[in-house]
Amino acid sequence: MALTLGSAPRKVWQTLSSIKTGVVLIILVVIFSAAGTVILQRPMTDPDDMQRAYSPDMLRFLDFTGLTDVYHTRWFIALLLLVSLSIIAASIERFPNSWRYYARPYKSPDASFRRVLATQVSIPILQEEQGLSAAERAFRKMGLRAERIVRPQSFSLFSERHRVSEMAVYIVHASLLLIFLGGIVDALWGWRGFIMLTPGSQTSAVELRTGATRTMPFELRCDGTGEEIYADGSPKRWWSKLAVVKNGRDVARKEISVNDPMVYRGVRFYQASYGRTGKIDRLILNVTPANDPKAQPREISLAMNQPVVLDADTSVEMTEFIPDYVVQDGHVYTRSNDVQNPAVHLVVTSQKTKKAVNVWFPEIPGFAENAASPYTFDPKDLKTGYYTGLQVSHEPGQWAVWAGVILMAIGLSFVFYIVHQRYWVVPVHDADTGAITLWIGGAANRNRDAFEHKFEKLVAEIKKELPAQARATRSVRTAQIAGK
Amino acid sequence: MARARAEQQPSTGSTLVVLVGLGIAFLLFMAFLNVVKSGNVLNEANLLYASLIFYAGAGALYLGFGVTANESYVKFASFATWAGLLANTGAVLHRWYEAGHPPFASLYEMLLMFVWTLAALTLVAEKVYGVKVIGTVTMPVAIVGVVLMQLLRTDVRPLVPALQSTWLHVHVSLAMLAYAACALSFALSMMFLIQDKVQTETFLAGTSLFTAGIYAAILSRFEKWGGLSVIAWDAENRTEVFLSRGVRLFVTIPDLGWLMVIVFAATLAPLALYALGVWKKDEGFLATANRAVFVSILLQILALAFFLLRANNGQYSSLDADGVYATSLAASPFILSGLVGGIFANLLYLLLLWRRTDLERLLPDADALDRLTYKTICVAFPLLTLMIAAGAYWANRAWGSYWSWDPKETWAAITWLIYAGYLHMRITRGWRGRRAAYFAILGFAVVMFTFFGVTYLLPGLHAYA
Repeated sequence: MALTLGSAPRKVWQTLSSIKTGVVLIILVVIFSAAGTVILQRPMTDPDDMQRAYSPDMLRFLDFTGLTDVYHTRWFIALLLLVSLSIIAASIERFPNSWRYYARPYKSPDASFRRVLATQVSIPILQEEQGLSAAERAFRKMGLRAERIVRPQSFSLFSERHRVSEMAVYIVHASLLLIFLGGIVDALWGWRGFIMLTPGSQTSAVELRTGATRTMPFELRCDGTGEEIYADGSPKRWWSKLAVVKNGRDVARKEISVNDPMVYRGVRFYQASYGRTGKIDRLILNVTPANDPKAQPREISLAMNQPVVLDADTSVEMTEFIPDYVVQDGHVYTRSNDVQNPAVHLVVTSQKTKKAVNVWFPEIPGFAENAASPYTFDPKDLKTGYYTGLQVSHEPGQWAVWAGVILMAIGLSFVFYIVHQRYWVVPVHDADTGAITLWIGGAANRNRDAFEHKFEKLVAEIKKELPAQARATRSVRTAQIAGK
Repeated sequence: MARARAEQQPSTGSTLVVLVGLGIAFLLFMAFLNVVKSGNVLNEANLLYASLIFYAGAGALYLGFGVTANESYVKFASFATWAGLLANTGAVLHRWYEAGHPPFASLYEMLLMFVWTLAALTLVAEKVYGVKVIGTVTMPVAIVGVVLMQLLRTDVRPLVPALQSTWLHVHVSLAMLAYAACALSFALSMMFLIQDKVQTETFLAGTSLFTAGIYAAILSRFEKWGGLSVIAWDAENRTEVFLSRGVRLFVTIPDLGWLMVIVFAATLAPLALYALGVWKKDEGFLATANRAVFVSILLQILALAFFLLRANNGQYSSLDADGVYATSLAASPFILSGLVGGIFANLLYLLLLWRRTDLERLLPDADALDRLTYKTICVAFPLLTLMIAAGAYWANRAWGSYWSWDPKETWAAITWLIYAGYLHMRITRGWRGRRAAYFAILGFAVVMFTFFGVTYLLPGLHAYA
């Protein structure tokens, strides 16, 4: 393969395909990926935490070398590519030999092979044909298919099983490359992002991890979201009803939950989080006329900016909702979007007098004119809105990854559990004495212990099949060298 | 030295037997008290306690066999292992019934399965492959596992949404099988090293390095101004105290840090003496090194005792928050398992130092052990592969990505790469024997780090385990 190349490319090729290079590359991958688990990584870590953990100089160095985002730096990806190249080169380098071995099995062993084979036995016999047919019967009994090999100089038997085992390692390497391929495809053409939706709203914009926004060729609408909790208060299930809208038409609909995403045209939507939006949905109040405290209270429900008529003259409207209020310098501010310390601002208007009264809950001094209101209000319930947080991803390479995984499972089971076994039976004439012996040899590419056991059984079978008179008193068993 | 050792042998043998007997009797007595107190015989805690006793007994008996070569020890040892396994199975089933899902959801439940698999594989190795002393290595691991379980929170918690998947069971059971197979390959390669007549001093260096490594990890992570930082524990809710989401509150136990520094130095001493001895080619240093091991064991026990006394239910102040906070052993499983693991490693070394000259006779020959190690890795490696694949598939359904470079994921991949390296070196380079055995030991060390170290030392998505 490499013979035709010039000396420099050849050297590169040899270095790349050597197992030493492979091991060095793997060690580098191990070191750097381990470093990535110890050093805090962007963008998952909060920038403030990064600054707290490292000195400015250190942080500058880490950022410069890419150690704060190891797995996405160019040099780490280049390293993974080098590993792939090394696997490819090593496989190509070794493949022709294995293929020769696979395509043209060695069926008729010569004298020198017979001399050095580790697992072998010789049995004295009287007749060539008698010995071979006995062996054939024994093979059949063992469930092996024997083949008669007729060569100008010799006449022998050959049997083998699971030749494909020799190719298994290439299956494993190919599967690894397939997984890498999937990863590369995803790194180049895949994307991941986040969508936050409240029930009833829809969007086509995805906020990507990088901070950019990506527009999908369709819109996603949320028709509802919710949470189920266990008796102890921990969350049991989060769900969202989603619909994909294309050209104003619903083209797909699904209720998703954690572990059960929705897929549309290769884009996957996962339930990732769930929470309160900090926006008010409805406020439930009991209303009583201020001048008639004995009157029956009436329950009303207010939505934002939607006036509700209380009598012919008066109406009430909710104009502000502050989820987490704080008063400072004569203004009401909100500290956060968490509904921690909520305040609502109602305006009670009279049409006749054109007078508007500001009602606040709670009564914030300086703002609330609750006492001037013709009605008293008693807040009962506050229904805030919920949002659903959706993880969105497009991973076109994942099919290569899953195919690779399945292929690897097959390859590994072939590598470890399927043994290529070969058996030869050759009648050998001794040139000096004229005696005939039946030479039986066997070889396996792994798990030699179990194979030797099987080989011994085969030999015993053959001895049993030989006619009694043909069996000589003495069988010669040459030394066996234990394999692996 | 040699003569002294020969004279020592009978006495250490019988002393050990007496100690084992006393130990088992004590544990049985404690167990009896426990059962009487609770009034409920067949609950999970009791079953677990019973399996702890049986495993401890089995471990001691295996050790006794290693020292005395008396075959009857093995008979009782495997009997004890069977009994422990039975109790362990009971605990697993009880847990399963209680929780309504297979016990894979928390570190506690995973340890339960890990110990079970390890005990089962020990019996397999003993019965099928005739590796009789393997229990001397696997049983201590099982004991540490069960002891750790006593400290972790045991209440059955409902599964959070991300864990509600069949893939949880596939992923975790594969992980436990793979890790237990790795533990077995580790034990086999240790046996191999003994059989291969690796010099006792080499083990000394290895043990010393291992223990010093543990203390270095503890010091680098938890030492603060001479004190030892441990996580504050909320006894009422049986949970760690959090400052904010994901940020644990550390309190400082004063002065314990200095003790750890001293012990760290003591564990380094044998290593330094060994290095000096090898460099100067002076046997005298090695004898001193062996004595230094005794000192280091004593100091380690002292450190453990002080840690137990001071960390359990103490009240300490914190640098990050006002007031005093309680601590508990349950909040520092990493430190505790590190301390206990270090002592075990050193005791194993003592066993080796005092071993009978004919211990080799009791083991299968080196070649067979070498092949057995390879075979167990041939089982562990596909399991590791499938475990990672199942995890990736599940992550793709739950987190939206099959690979997120989460620390646990990354370390699982590193483990996979190391075993892949082992297989390549063995198959293409013909690495056999000692080098392969060291490789297998390294592999198991990384497995243990992935299992425990990542959970307690590195933050990430795998928060539940």
